Amino acid sequence: MDQQQGYADDVVKGFILWSMVWGLVTVLIGVLISLQLVYPQLNLPPFLTYGRLRPVHTNAGIFGWGIGSFMAFFFYITQRLTKTRLWSPGLARVQLWLFNVIIALAAVTLLAGMNRSKEYAELEWPVALLVVVLWVIFSVNIIMTIAKRKEEQMYISLWYILATLVGVAVLYLVNNVSIPVSLFKSYSAYAGANDANVQWWYGHNAVAMVLTTPPLALFYYYLPKSTGVPIYSHRMGVIAFWSLIFMYLWTGAHHLLWTPVPDWVQTLAMGFSVMLIAPSWASVFNGYFSMEGQWNQMRDNYLVKFLIFAITFYGLQTLQGPSQAVRTFSAFIHYTDWVPGHVHMGTLGWVSLVIFAGIYYTIPKLYGREIYSVGLANLHFWLAVTGQIIFSITMWVAGVQQASMLHASNPDGSLHYSFMETLIELYPYWTWRSIAGIIYLASLLVFLYNIVKTISAGKAQPAEQKA
Amino acid sequence: MDLASVYYLGVTFLLFGIFVAIVVRTYSRKNRERGEDPKYRMMHED
Repeated sequence: MDQQQGYADDVVKGFILWSMVWGLVTVLIGVLISLQLVYPQLNLPPFLTYGRLRPVHTNAGIFGWGIGSFMAFFFYITQRLTKTRLWSPGLARVQLWLFNVIIALAAVTLLAGMNRSKEYAELEWPVALLVVVLWVIFSVNIIMTIAKRKEEQMYISLWYILATLVGVAVLYLVNNVSIPVSLFKSYSAYAGANDANVQWWYGHNAVAMVLTTPPLALFYYYLPKSTGVPIYSHRMGVIAFWSLIFMYLWTGAHHLLWTPVPDWVQTLAMGFSVMLIAPSWASVFNGYFSMEGQWNQMRDNYLVKFLIFAITFYGLQTLQGPSQAVRTFSAFIHYTDWVPGHVHMGTLGWVSLVIFAGIYYTIPKLYGREIYSVGLANLHFWLAVTGQIIFSITMWVAGVQQASMLHASNPDGSLHYSFMETLIELYPYWTWRSIAGIIYLASLLVFLYNIVKTISAGKAQPAEQKA
Repeated sequence: MDLASVYYLGVTFLLFGIFVAIVVRTYSRKNRERGEDPKYRMMHED
């Protein structure tokens, strides 16, 4: 069944194209703020300072590039896995407009300094309310499509999609409970350690429900589609899904080790974080085992290259994350540049590589054209991986050096280095991070060029290959 | 450990019980073919 036979794919195109715009904005601002750390004179107060631009970078990345493309893929995948037309294409078009209005409003308000001071939940209450409306519209459309599906058994991607819809709704509502004092200012309904606990329950589960379950939904869909071979074990996928859901929601307090949050809450978070290795690696193994007899496709099929590197970065990420959640290790690297190295392996490596693969697979199907240049897709891949690896390794080394300096003490117990002295030592690493960011930006430009040319000048696809 | 902590852990164990039930059901012999069927069906949905 293709668009002519009933699928609502125009809105999928819209979300993909707009998410690419926001993705470019994300990386451009990321490069700019990395340069602002190296060259402080690039800070132009009040609007274009690091403090104002950094939340724009994270919000555009997570919500514009991440959520935007996931909305596209959820519409695309759900229709095909259920063999059912989208419940309301009209509502989806409203959603596309509202989505872009919200991202633009987020950028403007954050640049103007309107900020709840909660990481990844910075948006002030009027914009946050619009986000709730957006999510309700989105969820109703997807859930109603699944409810009237023609396939009784649900493929694993649909479980991850449903978890995303429910999980984000619960997290966003609870952590955004606020008391408005004006149109542009509100205060959290929680206080002190409770506020911190709720915030990091939200913050870490944003990683779960935005940066883990949606890319896993995509991975389980696009890997078999790209290789032409079914996933190794659907049942293992189901078990991995439920154990991931069972464990993830308890882990947020590992962001608050060595704080006034009760010790047993910290210990519970630490324990569940380590247990999370099992479901995470079940998906990694499911991906690797699916490649049995197909590893030659890593050479011949650029989509497989993106997806297998993505799941490998996911595997590394889900070993490094639990390690950082252990008290002793956390005491060493927390509050250093190690952390952005970890985060960017997830966002640039795992999440973005899956999205790239999804777009490379989907756009030719939707437009009935072949990809403009496989050579450019390969160039994009190697530039992206190179940029990401330089970024992460540079930050890990910087983090270890900074941690060592922060922990060095004199015989009388006083600190050997001041915080400022650690920052001065970080300048060379920050320069390398900017270089890595510029390489990643170059990869993104190659990708955008390839997609635009595919849409405008790609060769027509044979009829049997169209979606 | 106060009452709130006991509730917290109680909910944890309850959810763990549900999880174990899901594992047993998914890997029961009766559900073997049914559990793997979606991965074949999704290959033909285009």
